[in-house]
Amino acid sequence: MDEANELKRMSMQYDSDDTNEKGKYMTFKSGNEYFGLAIQYVNEIIQMQEITAIPETEDYIKGLINLRGKVVPVIDVRLRFKQEPLAYNDRTCIIVINVKTATVGLIVEKIAEVVEIKEDNILPPPKIGHADKAQNKYVYGIGKVGNAVKLLLDPDKLLNDEDLSVVEQANDMSVDEEGEV
Amino acid sequence: MAEEFNTDGMLDMYLFENEQLLEQLQERVLDQKDADCFDEESINEIFRTMHTIKGSSGIMMFDNITAVSHKLEDIFYYLRESQPDNVPHLELVEHVLEVEDFISGELEKIRNGSPADGDSSGIIAGLDKFLEMIKNGGAQGGEEPPENVHVEPKQFYIAPVATSASRFYKIYINFYPETEMANVHAYKTVYALKEMAEDLLYSPEDIIADETSAQKILEDGFRILLQAQCTEEEIRNAIGIGYDIEKVDVYECKAEEFLQGFDFGEHDDEPKEVIDLESSVEEIESKAEAKEVEKAKEAPKEPAKPKMAPGDFVIKSKEPGKAKKLAKDRNKGEKASFISVNVKKMDQLMDLIGELVISESVVLQNPDLKVPGLNLDRFNKAAAQLAKISTDLQDVIMSMRMVSLSNTFQKMNRIVFDVSRKLGKEIEFEMVGEQTEVDKNIIEKISDPLMHIVRNSVDHGIEDKQTRMESGKSEKGKVILSAKTEAGKVWISVTDDGSGLDRAKILAKARKQGLLDPNKPDEAYSDKEVYQLITLPGFSTNEEVTEYSGRGVGMDVVVQNIQAIGGTLDIESTPGFGSTMSLKIPLTLAIIDGIVMETGKSSFVLETGVIKEFVRVREEMMIYEPNGDEYIMIRGECYPVLRLGRWYGLEEYQESVEDGVMLILEVEDQHVCLLVDRLIGEQEIVVKPIPSYIKKVKGLSGCTQLGDGSIALILDATGLME
Repeated sequence: MDEANELKRMSMQYDSDDTNEKGKYMTFKSGNEYFGLAIQYVNEIIQMQEITAIPETEDYIKGLINLRGKVVPVIDVRLRFKQEPLAYNDRTCIIVINVKTATVGLIVEKIAEVVEIKEDNILPPPKIGHADKAQNKYVYGIGKVGNAVKLLLDPDKLLNDEDLSVVEQANDMSVDEEGEV
Repeated sequence: MAEEFNTDGMLDMYLFENEQLLEQLQERVLDQKDADCFDEESINEIFRTMHTIKGSSGIMMFDNITAVSHKLEDIFYYLRESQPDNVPHLELVEHVLEVEDFISGELEKIRNGSPADGDSSGIIAGLDKFLEMIKNGGAQGGEEPPENVHVEPKQFYIAPVATSASRFYKIYINFYPETEMANVHAYKTVYALKEMAEDLLYSPEDIIADETSAQKILEDGFRILLQAQCTEEEIRNAIGIGYDIEKVDVYECKAEEFLQGFDFGEHDDEPKEVIDLESSVEEIESKAEAKEVEKAKEAPKEPAKPKMAPGDFVIKSKEPGKAKKLAKDRNKGEKASFISVNVKKMDQLMDLIGELVISESVVLQNPDLKVPGLNLDRFNKAAAQLAKISTDLQDVIMSMRMVSLSNTFQKMNRIVFDVSRKLGKEIEFEMVGEQTEVDKNIIEKISDPLMHIVRNSVDHGIEDKQTRMESGKSEKGKVILSAKTEAGKVWISVTDDGSGLDRAKILAKARKQGLLDPNKPDEAYSDKEVYQLITLPGFSTNEEVTEYSGRGVGMDVVVQNIQAIGGTLDIESTPGFGSTMSLKIPLTLAIIDGIVMETGKSSFVLETGVIKEFVRVREEMMIYEPNGDEYIMIRGECYPVLRLGRWYGLEEYQESVEDGVMLILEVEDQHVCLLVDRLIGEQEIVVKPIPSYIKKVKGLSGCTQLGDGSIALILDATGLME
């Protein structure tokens, strides 16, 4: 709980008009990987709350939440990446992001920190091997922070693309890398 | 001028005001298009409108708009003052609409930030010719008036008669080299001198519309030849001292020098007439006319306007005894006054009122109040009062966002007019219920679909005159556009009395394109299904592609657009008699009365209006089909049954019909029975759209927040019935 609040405070510090924002990423853990999301998309981070399910939608669309009067859809990031879903516990948070005009909540297993990643520390994502799938650049880069890597997500693609199983492969490949490091 | 004005705020105002003026103008013109001629009130209004547009465009430096509106203003000035007969009305209407289109187009460009660079010369030429024509005694049927396009103002051909008191001056004005828009300053001085002048020439001549004239003025100076009875001092006073004028030289000269004109070559190719000071006015005039006729014979130019193809539309279409009440009884006293409000503020207001309703229900249904034994009489009275005021507030705020459909309908009017003329069909356009109000969002989204449907009616639906007469119909086709609100939806329909949809043709085409099930015979398709086929992409029974339709791109896009706002398109048709296309669009931003119910762990809401009855049913009333469909007999009527829990795959819902509640839903003439677990209550709810991120789910039309903060999904009865 406190973690969420503290991170909330931290992300609030970053005024969305501040150009120093560039290079700051909100990181969270999902499965074995840490993902990063450019902070200008992040609206807020809230605790897990009751979700109203919507019938006949994709499995990763968990439903709707009531965010201070606004109705916001939430998706489960693990399901979105076609991973096994984890049970929700009290560490589970919802990151509310704003992409163009859409506001969507991402249910994540665990929030990590806000890190600053310089441009030169961002490498292009590994080639997956399928020419057409390489187009799906929701993981548009790998950010190096110390010894660890964060997979940087493009929120637009995250919300809009259909097939995200490629992320799995990206996971596998970066696990190998990490193993080598 | 040295200062640069920041014209942004002015620009918005300018665009807004002038767009409004143009809309009103178009409405007025289309109103009167069937009349014999414009009535006095209209002439005055059009004159004033053009004058205003000219003025404000002049200030905003949109020269082409200024020039065009000036010309049209001249025409209406003439109509007002001279009241000529035999003004070819339809041609005039077309001119006005042409001007209006041009100006609208330019305003659009300006709004988008592009320069207003439209070429107005063609229109101006046309207007000039028209003015000439009516000044010379009216139209000659459908033929082209045998005159040239005049470039110079008429005064040079009919000599102003000079008196002995007249004096002649040459005036040279030099502006400071950094003067911006010297042409406007020059115009200012000309204007000032016009009052006292008997004759006035200036060079460069085209200082209003020609921007390069400013440059010439700065380089060569501005020269004026003045014939007046004033003194040099009076001239200087009129010109005035300005920060823009560097030097003014005034020379008195003799009449001959005046006649020589300017020394250097700003001449047009036409040689100037020698001003005849001796002959009488009649002689001069007859000479001038003779010259004109000569000119006409010499070089008959092509008229700027293309010839009307079907000539029926010029004057001859005046029907005798036509006592059409024009101007729709426009009472002078009824003009409502308006304020323009930023739409964002309206949206905020809408959101707040939604929040208010929710908060109100949180308060009024607070669990704290459910303590037994509390005497809540006074509280309830106060609560009722609060509820009443809140409802009134909602109504007013909702109505603020509502805009009447009349503007949209007027656009359709224009389209019918344009298309019918181009195709040579005579069509009467009737509007019913155009004061119906819908939310602003909806208006924007239905404009295009409606246009397409209307065009279809005129292009495909209404047959040409010949065919109509042969089949015994009246010559004039009729298109009726009507709107009404009912049951929380707005119903807009386009009806034509044309040839209707050809079922056989549609089926044949569909079969050819492989859109039909090969096993299903033609007869198995109901009429409704056949008509819906035309909304499939790429479908068109037109043999050829015309400018307006036939490519088969239209109807599917129309349906898509309508569905995007949650509406549906119904098509009805009777072969030989006509078709009706109906749009049904929900008023999404609604606060509706709803019944809240629960199934499983989810809450749902249904609009009170669609629920006909609640019944507790017994097992024996159920009928089970072998294919899984279920029906129920209630008082002798058989209804299909929908189990909400099962249909949506919900969890933990009641299986047995006896443990749940059966609702009988009715929409138009269709019924369905819905089985839910339990009813919670009746409540006013704010309809919120399901976020667009989530793709449309059948049967759900929105969501809302209940008093306890939880979210309920709003069911759409029509969706459930499919």
